[in-house]
Amino acid sequence: MVDLNRKIARSSDEYDHRAREYAVRLNRTELSKTQIRGLETLAYTTNKVSDVTDWIKKHVAKDAKRNLWAKDGIGRELLITLEGLRQDAKEIVKTAKNYPTTFREDPDLERQLHLRLIREYLKHLVAHFEYQHAVKRQQ
Amino acid sequence: MTDLSYNLKLRKLIAAWSDNSEIEANRFADRYRDLYPREISNAQLRGLENVIRSSRQFIDVKGFIQHQGEKAERARRSDVGDFWRGLDSDLSSLRDEAKRMLHQTGSEISEVKLDRVHHQLAEIYVQHLIAHMFYWTPFLEEKGKIKRHHR
Repeated sequence: MVDLNRKIARSSDEYDHRAREYAVRLNRTELSKTQIRGLETLAYTTNKVSDVTDWIKKHVAKDAKRNLWAKDGIGRELLITLEGLRQDAKEIVKTAKNYPTTFREDPDLERQLHLRLIREYLKHLVAHFEYQHAVKRQQ
Repeated sequence: MTDLSYNLKLRKLIAAWSDNSEIEANRFADRYRDLYPREISNAQLRGLENVIRSSRQFIDVKGFIQHQGEKAERARRSDVGDFWRGLDSDLSSLRDEAKRMLHQTGSEISEVKLDRVHHQLAEIYVQHLIAHMFYWTPFLEEKGKIKRHHR
């Protein structure tokens, strides 16, 4: 379990940089802090990856003026990024040599890890977005 | 088995099923994507969403879907009829999935429990389906394939 948490932490640190770049682009839209936080809250309260993806899809579709989630394909890109984290979860499970057999053979482990990685990514994204948002307002 | 243990097991099984069924629901939505929002309207999909959220039994959802299918047949829209029939068939078949899940929890199967889980699975499937159908609309508009209808 310690090893698993360490691997998640390592992945999380890698996401920090990617999330910062993405937050710059998010700040070019008219999305508010509440809207971004809404996504993070959902990710932390649900136990399904699909709830997060459905949320993004619905918000992209709702954005008729294309100045929020549909601007420059930003929501679509986030979906692809979050989906891509599944591969990281797969890698972590593959290297799960030291875990007890019952844990390693849990068919749901990869999915649960995927959700944890999504939470990590969104945590960084929200932090960067809010920081950049505040800096922008001060200027 | 305690209620807590049963609920936790079921919750985990449903979450895993939800993430796997997303692909299937997306495929179904992709097959009929061209029909939205003209032949299958936003109001019909929202109606489906509302019925499934407010009803307690799957039979009510089935009634709504069959009614939409009959309307399409009367209007001689066999493609739209196919959509509603296909959805009816997919959602009805989730009863077996619900039964399998209840078996896995080790709990006794009653009609009430089965109906509740079946309804939950149908709700999740519809959530995926609708999100995916709505999602693709702006991109089709950009390509000039359709005009945006009032949402």
